[in-house]
Amino acid sequence: MLKMNNVTKVFRTDLVETHALRDFNLHVQEGDFVAVTGPSGSGKTTFLNIAGLLETFNGGQYHLDGLDVSNLSDKERSRIRNEKIGFIFQGFNLIPDLNLFDNVDVPLRYRGFRSAERKRRIEQSLEMVGLASRMKHLPSQLSGGQQQRVAIARALAGEPRFLLADEPTGNLDSKMAHSVMDLLKDINARGTTIVMVTHDPLLAKQARRNIFVRDGKVSELHEVSAFAEDETAASKVANSKQ
Amino acid sequence: MFNSSSWEVGPILRALMRNKVGALLIAIQIAVTMCIIVNAIHIILERQELMARDSGIDEANSFHLISTGFANDFNEQVTIETDLNTIRALPGVIDAVQINAIPISGGGWSMGLQTQPGAEFDGVGTAVYMVDEHVLEALDLELIAGEAFKPTHVRWRERAQTNWPDQTIITKAMAESLFPEEPWQQVVGKTVYINDNEPILIMGIIDKLQAPWVGWNNVEHAMLSPEKTLFSSSRYLVRTEPGRRDELMPKVEEILAESNKGRIIRDVTSMMDTRERSYRRHGAMIKILTTVMVILTVVTALGIVGLASFSVNRRRKQIGTRRALGASQSAILRYFMLENFLISTVGVVLGAALTIGLNIYLVQAFSLDRIDWYFIPLGMLVLWMVGQLAVFGPAKRAAGIAPAIATRTV
Amino acid sequence: MFSYYLRLALLSIKRNPILSSLMVAAIALGIGASMTTITVNYLMSADPIPHKSDELFYVQVDSWDPNDPYDEPNEPPDQLTWTDANNLMNARKATRQVAMASSGAVIEPHGQDSKPFNAGIRLTFADFFPMFDVPFLYGSGWSESQDLAREQIVVLSRETNERVFGGENSVGRSIRIGGNQFTVVGVLNHWQPVPKFYDVTTGAFNETEDLFMPFLLKEELELPNGGNTNCWKSPEGDSFKAFLQSECVNYQMWVELPTERDKQDYLAFLNSYADDQKALGRFPRPLNNRLSNVMQWMEIQEVVADDARIMLWLSFMFLLVCLLNTIGLLLSKFSGKAAEIGLRRAVGASKGDLFMQHLVETACIGIAGGIAGLGLAMLGLLGIGSLYGDFAENLTSLDLTMVAVALLLALVSSIAAGLYPTWRACNIAPASQLKSQ
Repeated sequence: MLKMNNVTKVFRTDLVETHALRDFNLHVQEGDFVAVTGPSGSGKTTFLNIAGLLETFNGGQYHLDGLDVSNLSDKERSRIRNEKIGFIFQGFNLIPDLNLFDNVDVPLRYRGFRSAERKRRIEQSLEMVGLASRMKHLPSQLSGGQQQRVAIARALAGEPRFLLADEPTGNLDSKMAHSVMDLLKDINARGTTIVMVTHDPLLAKQARRNIFVRDGKVSELHEVSAFAEDETAASKVANSKQ
Repeated sequence: MFNSSSWEVGPILRALMRNKVGALLIAIQIAVTMCIIVNAIHIILERQELMARDSGIDEANSFHLISTGFANDFNEQVTIETDLNTIRALPGVIDAVQINAIPISGGGWSMGLQTQPGAEFDGVGTAVYMVDEHVLEALDLELIAGEAFKPTHVRWRERAQTNWPDQTIITKAMAESLFPEEPWQQVVGKTVYINDNEPILIMGIIDKLQAPWVGWNNVEHAMLSPEKTLFSSSRYLVRTEPGRRDELMPKVEEILAESNKGRIIRDVTSMMDTRERSYRRHGAMIKILTTVMVILTVVTALGIVGLASFSVNRRRKQIGTRRALGASQSAILRYFMLENFLISTVGVVLGAALTIGLNIYLVQAFSLDRIDWYFIPLGMLVLWMVGQLAVFGPAKRAAGIAPAIATRTV
Repeated sequence: MFSYYLRLALLSIKRNPILSSLMVAAIALGIGASMTTITVNYLMSADPIPHKSDELFYVQVDSWDPNDPYDEPNEPPDQLTWTDANNLMNARKATRQVAMASSGAVIEPHGQDSKPFNAGIRLTFADFFPMFDVPFLYGSGWSESQDLAREQIVVLSRETNERVFGGENSVGRSIRIGGNQFTVVGVLNHWQPVPKFYDVTTGAFNETEDLFMPFLLKEELELPNGGNTNCWKSPEGDSFKAFLQSECVNYQMWVELPTERDKQDYLAFLNSYADDQKALGRFPRPLNNRLSNVMQWMEIQEVVADDARIMLWLSFMFLLVCLLNTIGLLLSKFSGKAAEIGLRRAVGASKGDLFMQHLVETACIGIAGGIAGLGLAMLGLLGIGSLYGDFAENLTSLDLTMVAVALLLALVSSIAAGLYPTWRACNIAPASQLKSQ
């Protein structure tokens, strides 16, 4: 599904070169639920941006769903984001001027669905996150957890093969975080591949696989079943170094 | 690949309704700008039409001057005869006449002509030009019916003299106003009355000659009266061969001034300068309105640029999110262009109403003409285009916002 | 506190130089355009003799054609006949009275090198100079007895005196005008009422005349007619005298009537005069005599040009667009400061404090716009001056009043423009901006 081989990303300014990712290798199977953890500055976000085709990279290869996406035009990348990837952001990123219906509608418009099809999908996905009755509400009228559910509905409405979540519970209290996680697991259970970036090891534990990123590299890979106590300690140490 | 779903009219409108003030500010600016521009263009065209009217004489190659006698031994009659003979004999001069008033110059003499004698009948107002038999050649007039003056027709007129010569030549427009029922050709040979009951025979008709007053309703009404004047000040109008006017103006002035020290030669002016002076306020109005229009359009466009830039900045995150969700750069560009188009539409519809309102006011208060209907759609089109051009820069910048901004916190 | 606000305002203006200069430019353009047209209209409609403009009255009597009024609907002629001008002068029923006419003649300066030139003449009476507060550089006007004696005396304008006598005190010297010898009795200082109210028949903003001489010399020296001559019937006979005795109007008349009672008395006199004339077979129209004070007369004569009024209204709309522009830009600017405002609220600033702070900022922009606008207005007036040439020569100068008006207009309009954005900015809840999202 997602295959990165020796992906490198370098940020250049006039004075310094920063290697955000170096020889990054990762394979994610269809239907998997991977949590990517690591201290801040480790390259998590860069990985997420490249995986989601939000940023280009300097070297290596990246195949998404069998397609080499290294040299695509901006327009083609936009289309792939729209068709194959669903995004969930830490800050929800709902458009404050649009009601829930119009928010979920946004990616469907870019897909070019007809109005009846869009309506069906919007209602279906809002139904799934339990907010169908509040379609005409504005994001500001909802709680954080509800907003994130709308964002998930928006990500799912286009029926992507692949869901990218960036600290999906970062702005939520633990109760809301729980229900959002349950929703994600539920979605994964229905066959959607999920890659979730988080700094929270407890959250990561709920995924099927964990990847630990440090200094722009995958330093450890775990099946969650093999998850060990000392891993938490390691990540704490890494954090305190920052 | 046209697809209706990519034209987000509904969501844009709903989003605009949450941000009414900014949108309304632009819409009103567009409306007022359109109102001013359309009415200004209307006034400009009206003035241009006024200025484009032909006075009937050879303006490009003519000039005029005044000779004022002051010496006690000044013999006016001899001076005029001598002056005219001298000027007419100069190489490069086509012809010259003594004339009591210069067409389109602002100052002159008017009389009323009536078709029936008696103080109880109304006359038709006309400018009077007192000229000799050289008038057709000197003013470049075309006699389209009847006969020209002969030397025998021309008399001398004293300053306080009140009676009139027995013949006249009038303009075609004057003939049509005097006898609206008859074709102008048949006006030749008719008798009209001046000073209520003094008969005058219309012996000829000329195609065109304007009165001295460019703002007069009857500016096309003129009559030629065959007489030379002894008013102590004489005006001469001189027509030269093409291209020789500027060389002859100082020459004529000098020759006349030298030939007789008992008078002064003054106000030597080309007809082009006379026209410029008579129409100066219209020319000035045109320039001022044009300046206002240009500046106003720039101000409105800058306002749109400013507000659009601000709204793009405010929505950076949203734009990044849209990009992340699959919007291509052109979709973002289209979004802002379409948003501006919708705001402009409100503006130009409002503008159409304002334009008509202002025009109605101008018609009533300043007796301007009504605007032609097609000015409105044209004005709307122009303002739409101004809006689209102004928003293009900010929209282009919005399209350039990196999708990765969506994952950035803060 | 004010100086603190001022410092904050300047900081904020500096932080957004492009937005700030756009706003200043918008206000400056709006103020510049309106001040240009306001100045032209203000000067056109100015009171040329403010301390006594309501004591001076223009005299109209209806001597016109029985069949048609002079002007629709039923306006009396705007000038008098020679006969009426002289009869009303001789009656001496007002505190002061002048009849007048314009004419022209050739002046022949002494000396071989100076050429003869044509001069504009105002024919008038002795009361002209005290009545209209005409300033003298040398000498004075003349007396009533000199009027009646038809003495060949003249008052020169300052410019004419420069031209003929090199600016010396020429009182008592002789000057040759239209082939006759005159004695100079006075030289005016610079005098240019705007509008040139005492005779607007040939243009309200013309230059004052080159010289002034007794009215009755017109008859004595058979001086030519200046200005407009209108007749409803032709003179009876071909002599100069016949023209003077005709029903042709070419003369203006002003009277000075200090009280309302004087005015009523004078109007009654005019009416009885008209009745007397009817008895003599003149004045065939119904009684229709008018007295208009200076500003009324300017109004009747439509001294303010239509084009100037059209431009005034257009420039106000222009200012409106510029202000809408400023409101939009201020909204942008203040909403960009939401975080700062939220923080200030959180640390205890009241809404009133913030309101003042932003109002001071708006006012600073307004004053900068006003000053720049004044500069633009001067450019605009220069432009109008060059476009209209000598027609507008006396209409394109900014005086102190106009400068004050410009600054006030800029201040008021920018604060008006700033009110809504400021109010919106101050209503930001204290806490809302402290969260990172």
